Amino acid sequence: MTDQTVQHVKTLIVGSGFAGLGLAIRLKRRGDGDFAIIERAHDVGGTWRDNTYPGAACDVPSHLYSFSFRPNPDWSSVFSPGPEIQQYLRDAAREEGLLPHVHFGADMLDASWDDNAARWTVTTSAGTFTSTYLVTGTGHLADEAFPAIEGLEDFPGAKFHSARWDHSVPLDGKRIGVVGTGASAIQIVPELAKIASELVVFQRTPAYIIPRAERAYTEGEKRLFRRDPSAITELRSELFWGGENTYAQRRAVPQFLEAGKKMALDHLAAQVPDPELRAKLTPDYEPGCKRVLISNAFYPALQAEVTTLEASALRRVEGSTVVAASGAEYDLDVLVFATGFEATEPPYAALVHGRDGVNLSDHWKSGMQAYDSVAVAGFPNLFSINGPNTSLGHNSIVYIIESQVEYILGAFDYAAEHGIEVIEPTREAEEAYVDKLQADAQGTVWIDGGCKSWYVDQRSGKLTLIWPDFGFAFRDKNGTFSPDGYQTRIAPQALPQPAGV
Amino acid sequence: MLATDLMIPAVADIRGTSITYYDSRDEKDRDDVLVMVHGTSGSTKTHFGFLFPILAAKQRVVSIDWSQPDRDGERLELDQLVDQVAGAIEVILPGRKVVLLGYSLGAVVTAALAARRPDLVERLVLVAGWMKTDLQQILRNDVWQALRASGDDAIRSYSTFCAFGGPFLGSKTLADLQPAMDAMAFDAFGDQQMELNRRIDIVEEVHRISVPTLVIGCTHDQMVPIRHQKALFGAIEDARFAEIPTGHAVVFERPSELTHHIQRFLDEPEAFTAGSIVPTPQP
Ligand SMILES: Cc1cc2nc3c(=O)[nH]c(=O)nc-3n(C[C@H](O)[C@H](O)[C@H](O)COP(=O)(O)OP(=O)(O)OC[C@H]3O[C@@H](n4cnc5c(N)ncnc54)[C@H](O)[C@@H]3O)c2cc1C
Repeated sequence: MTDQTVQHVKTLIVGSGFAGLGLAIRLKRRGDGDFAIIERAHDVGGTWRDNTYPGAACDVPSHLYSFSFRPNPDWSSVFSPGPEIQQYLRDAAREEGLLPHVHFGADMLDASWDDNAARWTVTTSAGTFTSTYLVTGTGHLADEAFPAIEGLEDFPGAKFHSARWDHSVPLDGKRIGVVGTGASAIQIVPELAKIASELVVFQRTPAYIIPRAERAYTEGEKRLFRRDPSAITELRSELFWGGENTYAQRRAVPQFLEAGKKMALDHLAAQVPDPELRAKLTPDYEPGCKRVLISNAFYPALQAEVTTLEASALRRVEGSTVVAASGAEYDLDVLVFATGFEATEPPYAALVHGRDGVNLSDHWKSGMQAYDSVAVAGFPNLFSINGPNTSLGHNSIVYIIESQVEYILGAFDYAAEHGIEVIEPTREAEEAYVDKLQADAQGTVWIDGGCKSWYVDQRSGKLTLIWPDFGFAFRDKNGTFSPDGYQTRIAPQALPQPAGV
Repeated sequence: MLATDLMIPAVADIRGTSITYYDSRDEKDRDDVLVMVHGTSGSTKTHFGFLFPILAAKQRVVSIDWSQPDRDGERLELDQLVDQVAGAIEVILPGRKVVLLGYSLGAVVTAALAARRPDLVERLVLVAGWMKTDLQQILRNDVWQALRASGDDAIRSYSTFCAFGGPFLGSKTLADLQPAMDAMAFDAFGDQQMELNRRIDIVEEVHRISVPTLVIGCTHDQMVPIRHQKALFGAIEDARFAEIPTGHAVVFERPSELTHHIQRFLDEPEAFTAGSIVPTPQP
C-alpha cells in the first residue's frame, strides 16, 4: 500500500494480539469481511510475538488462556511455553482467513474523528485508512517501560528489555544483570542461572510467589480432548471457577488473605532455608496488591552458585560497573530490563483525537477511564478492548476480551438496526460508571493492600487498570451491549425522506 | 487500610434460645437484605466463609447459626429450626421482608419458612435442598449412623467422599483435604440434625411457596442428588433453576460460581422468568 491510497472499511482494528484477532475472528465468522487490522509489527500475536525471552510462558492455564471458540486439544502442558501460544495465535489468524485483512508494518500515527463525515481517519506508517468504527486492541503490556538510570547510555555491554530480547547477544558464560523481579523476571532468571557465569538480580520489591502446578498433558489426555471436546469445556470451566475462587483474597477477606499469604510464605520457607535471603524475599504488603506470581524455579535459581540477589534498585551505571541503591557494585557484561510496561498511561491515547480534536491522553490526564470499560465520551464510534479497568489480577484476560468483543458486536448490531451513524457514551453515564467502580474497589487489596503498583494511576490514586471484581461480574455487567448510557445520531439516509421527493 | 473482618458474631435471644448470628449492617444503598441459613452440622463460619463477606461487599447480609434447643436427648424437629430462623429475622430485622437463602438442611428450613411466613420473605434461594427424604438418602444416612455409633474414624473419609463431587476429589490429593477432614467435629446436636434429615417431608408446604425462587442444584451431589432440586423446581410456582457441576459441597468447591448465580438473582430477579433454566456459564 502506498501513502496516496486511502482505504475505507467499516471497522478498523488496531493491533493483532488476542484482542484484535478475537474481534476479527468473530466478525469474519458472522460473514462481515468489512474490516482491516493495522499492526505495527510484522507478525500477529502481540505479547506472544514480542516476549521471546527464555522461559516465557503463560501463568493462567492454557486451556483457559485461549479463545473459547478455538479450543486447542494439543496444549503441551498446563502452562504452555510462549512459542506455543504464539503458534496458536498465528494458526488462528491463518485458519480463520484473517491474514488478507492485516496490514503489517502499519504503525498508527494518528487517529482523528471527522464528525461531519461520521468516520475516523487513521494515518499509519503504511497508508491512511478511514473507518466507521475504530477498535483499539493495542494491549496494555505492549510498550516497554525503562527506568531512567544515570550513565546507562555509556554501558559498554549489551542491554535490552525482556519484551525486545536480543537473541544475537551471546549469554553463555557472561556476567548478566536482571533488573526487576516481576512476572517476566521470575521466568527469565532460572534460565539465565543455567548459563551465566555471574547473575545479579536487582529487586526493588519482592513478590509473593506460589507453587506452579505445572505438568505436561499425556498423549491420552490430548487424545481425549480431541475425541470429546466436552472434556475441554469442562476443564475450562473448572479452571475458570478455580481462578474466580481466589477473588476472595483480592477482596481482602481475612481468612482467604491469610491462606494466600501462608501458601506463598510456606513455599518460600520450603525453598529458601537461609533466613537472611528469606527475609529479603518476604513482602511487606498484602498478597495481590501486586500480581501474585507462580514459580517453582525462581527461588532455587536465586540460590544457584552464580546468582546474587541485590535487594535494592539499580541506581547508576559507571562504565561496565553497575551500582545498586544499596551502594553495592557489580561488573557486568549484559543488562536485561525486566521492568514491565507503560500500562497506566497507554501511548496509543496520545495518537487519538475525538470530537473537536480533543486528545485522548489529555482527556485521561488524571487516569484512563471508559464507560462500561469500553467506550469514551467525546470519542464517538471508538471502542477499546483490554483498555481501562479490564485487567484481572486473578484470572484470564481472554475471558474479558471475549466479553468485550461480544459487547462491541452488540453495539454494531444495534447501530445497524436503528440506522445509527454516530454512537458515544454520555459524560454522565461514564462518570457514574467510574464512580461506582471506584467505590466498589474500596476494600480490595489493590487499593488498600499497602503497595505501590501499576494497577493504580499514581497521578490520581485511582484504580484505572484493574477490574476490581470477579471476572464473571465483568461479563454480567459489560458483556452485553445496552443502549442505556449512549447518545446516538441517525444517519441522514436512514431518516424518513420528506414526501414527494 | 484493609477491609475489616465482617465475620463478627452477635447473639440474639429467640424465645429463650440463644443463637449466634452475623450482620454486615452496611446497606450499601440497597433496600434488600439477604438472610442466609447454613446446612447440617454447619455454621456461618464453616459454610459461608466465602459467601458472607463476598455478598456483603454489595449489600447487607445477615447469617443465622441455629442452635440446639434446650432439650437434650429429645428429637430435633424441623419446626424448631424454622421458628428459630423466623424469630431471628423478626428480632434482627423487625418489620422487614428479606431475601432468604438456605443451603442443604438450611434450604429445607427456609423453604418451610417461606411457605409458612410469606410476610417475612420477599424472595428465596434454595441451594442443594430437598423436600422429601428418599431411600438413597436413608441408606447413606444409615451408613453414617453406623460409623458414628462405632466411633470409627472412617466417618471422616466417608463424609468427605459423600460431600464432594467426584471431579473435584479426582483433582485433589489427600494432603489437600486432610486439614478439613481432621477439623470435622461430631456432636450431639449434629447427630440430632442427621436424624432429622431422615424424616423430611415438606412436599405440601413447598407447593404453597409463592415468592420468586432460585433453585440451585449440583450435578455431582451424592447427599442430596440433583433430582431433589429438580423436584423443588417443579413444585414451586415462581421458580427458576440453575445447575453447578460440583458435589454437595458447592460452598467449598465453587463458591464463585454459586456467587454468580446468587448475585444475578439478587441484582436482576426478573432476568429469568418463572420456569426458566438459567444457562450454565461458558467461560
Ligand atoms: C510475558 C507476559 C505474560 C503474560 N501472561 C499472561 C497470562 O498468563 N494470562 C493473562 O491473562 N495475561 C497475560 N499477560 C497479559 C497479556 O498482555 C494479555 O494476556 C494479552 O496477550 C493481551 O492481548 P492484547 O491483544 O490486548 O494486547 P497485545 O498482545 O499487547 O497486542 C497489542 C498489539 O497492538 C499492536 N500495537 C500497539 N500500538 C500500536 C499502534 N500504535 N499501531 C499499530 N499497532 C499497535 C502491538 O504491536 C501488538 O501487536 C502476559 C503478558 C506478558 C507481557
